[in-house]
Amino acid sequence: MTATLLVQTLRDPASAARLSAPDWNALIAAARAERLIGTLAYRLEHAEVPAPVRPILADARTEAVREARQALWEADRARAALAPLNIPVVLLKGTAYAAAHLSPAQGRFIGDLDILVPRAALDAVEAALIAAGWEWVKPDPYDDAYYRQWMHELPPLIHRDRDRMIDVHHSILPLTARPKPDAAALLTDSIPISEGSLKGLRILSPTDRICHAAAHMLADGDLSGGLRNLWDIHCLLTDLAPSEDLPTRTAHHGLTAPVAQAQRLARHLYAPHEKPAPLPLQDRLIAKRLLATNAWGQETQKPLRMGYYLRSHALRMPPMMLARHLVTKWRKGHRG
Amino acid sequence: MRHSIALTIGPASFRIGSAWPAPIAQLAHLYRAYPTPPEGIADFTVRLEPSKPWRRHIRPSIHITGDHGLADAAPMALAHGLLAAEMGMNLQMALGWRRHLLLHASCVEKDGRALVMTGESGSGKSTLAAQLGERGWRLMGDEFALLDLHSGQIFAFPRLISLKNAAISVMEAEAAPDRFGPLLRATAKGDIRHLSPRADAVARMAEGAMPALLLFPRYGFAPEIRTVGQGEVFMRLTQASTNYTALGEPGFTALTRFVQTVPAHAIDFPSGEDAIALVEQLWAEAR
Amino acid sequence: MTVPTRYRAAPATDLIVRALDDITLIYHRPSSQTHMVASPVPEILDALRTTPLTAPLPEREGPGVGSERSEPPAHATQTPAQILTTLSTHFDLGDPATARPVIAAHLEEMVALGLIHRA
Repeated sequence: MTATLLVQTLRDPASAARLSAPDWNALIAAARAERLIGTLAYRLEHAEVPAPVRPILADARTEAVREARQALWEADRARAALAPLNIPVVLLKGTAYAAAHLSPAQGRFIGDLDILVPRAALDAVEAALIAAGWEWVKPDPYDDAYYRQWMHELPPLIHRDRDRMIDVHHSILPLTARPKPDAAALLTDSIPISEGSLKGLRILSPTDRICHAAAHMLADGDLSGGLRNLWDIHCLLTDLAPSEDLPTRTAHHGLTAPVAQAQRLARHLYAPHEKPAPLPLQDRLIAKRLLATNAWGQETQKPLRMGYYLRSHALRMPPMMLARHLVTKWRKGHRG
Repeated sequence: MRHSIALTIGPASFRIGSAWPAPIAQLAHLYRAYPTPPEGIADFTVRLEPSKPWRRHIRPSIHITGDHGLADAAPMALAHGLLAAEMGMNLQMALGWRRHLLLHASCVEKDGRALVMTGESGSGKSTLAAQLGERGWRLMGDEFALLDLHSGQIFAFPRLISLKNAAISVMEAEAAPDRFGPLLRATAKGDIRHLSPRADAVARMAEGAMPALLLFPRYGFAPEIRTVGQGEVFMRLTQASTNYTALGEPGFTALTRFVQTVPAHAIDFPSGEDAIALVEQLWAEAR
Repeated sequence: MTVPTRYRAAPATDLIVRALDDITLIYHRPSSQTHMVASPVPEILDALRTTPLTAPLPEREGPGVGSERSEPPAHATQTPAQILTTLSTHFDLGDPATARPVIAAHLEEMVALGLIHRA
């Protein structure tokens, strides 16, 4: 469980002074496997590190700056394509953090562009994006129907020239998931970006950002990339103004349990402390899964991981629907 | 991982872990003259894992991965483990290296100046570089040439030379037997045999050289030399680079400077001896 | 009659332009993309980039001329017709009726790439 080393170094950069050469090899492999190498590189920017580590971290910082620039350009192109529709367009996750210079953005890997739009505007958004050069990724009609019927997003689109993916959401959890976040309130309370080329786009309110990050990590995903998601949550919680009423907002979205769990996990793994507070059993299992990377950057705890894939599906879909989904997938798999 | 080795090739260093001993033993033999990573810290991790947990012993099958990997990489037979390790290192360089512009090219050096040769696989660039490396040139690499983003120099990445099919017997006639790896039959690219570069190429692998000539070789045609326009050179080099896009502006600046300052020719040749004559002729003219 | 679209160059700091012996390379910083372009794209860019803010424009059509704004953009804006006029001083563009839609198409492609903006 050398991801422990990664978590410890992110939490306390000064502890890097005590690392041996094998520790460094393990730390770098774990940071790359968890897509936290850029974040680590910024945390260690002013730390004393061995000479061969310096260029590795410098490369990671340069890469993160380039990633962010490219992500913001992609957001700008979506802005240009959707501007004539006159609807609120909310940036989510990595691109939002970068656009608003929020603290999780520093060194963060940014993959696809995620945006939130009003559900009523989905067809118009789809048409406008396709007119501007985005194309469907999934040629599979079952997957396409599945997305449209049950998911909280359009099937992913990819830009034909720039080769970048956009995920258009109308909510932050699938329609089949038990919690039903208030998508209209996410849009109403979103905050406009007031300066720069992305003026006109919006980001979620500070409390909704935390609700979304926690929902994404604990009520939606299979926990892969979980250490990075949890780092986002740690940063967002640290930056939350004392005047913000997080409990009321999480209750409003029906996300009290995942947000509370995310808070406990973030505090346990990332908050500076002498001795970590003990975690409830179900949190301990998740923490174990989050830290399941060995000194070679390999995933250990495979059975646990499989368990989380099932858990993720079960959370998102009521049982009958789950059976339907798995059977369709299974049949397809066996037809080849 | 049960078996491992760490080594430095040019400016990059690797630690390679394997579920099986054989690929590591072969690397240890062929890379015996190469240094270990500075202070024991490697730039990249490569892993040779069983493609499924039970495929370590039963019909062993290698999945190549590491810091950077391809989700759809085809598993390889254990008999081709050395090739898998080499591919694993190439993969890390191709996807992860950011300190130079990476050109998919072979490269040799003479009198402090570099000759860069690029082309598709089968163009003869690798064999040509291997032959020149035995005939008074320093081999800088048969697969990647590293263009420095600031100085414009080319740096070496002299990993094992990967000889394919007919090139194997060509080089067996030129190099000592103890520099060769096992003959790997029927890989995805035909028969392959690895060759350690000469001792001087390894000893001087940290030395850069200013590029003096760029060639686009093509094997199997009547001898011909054509000048290639800068626009075409630029386009072909961006296609031959795995990290041009990832480097952004520094890559653009370095590559435009290279294209504007290094003369470029396409050369066709029917045989290795013709190729060497053409290269020596163009090299003399480029001085 | 509709007001013609006006265009202006992207800020000079967004672009690096390098002329090779046969084509021109444009590196666009915001998108980190390299474009290989041939005539008349570099010339269109030049026409938009070299127009000083206070230069008298060949024609005046509609509002929004750069010098009248409280916050002037980095470059003056031009209509396709104005760009065509500038280009024809350097080039033989042939029949203006044929050239106009060609230039208009180039302008829209350049907008999509971020090399120029609609004013």
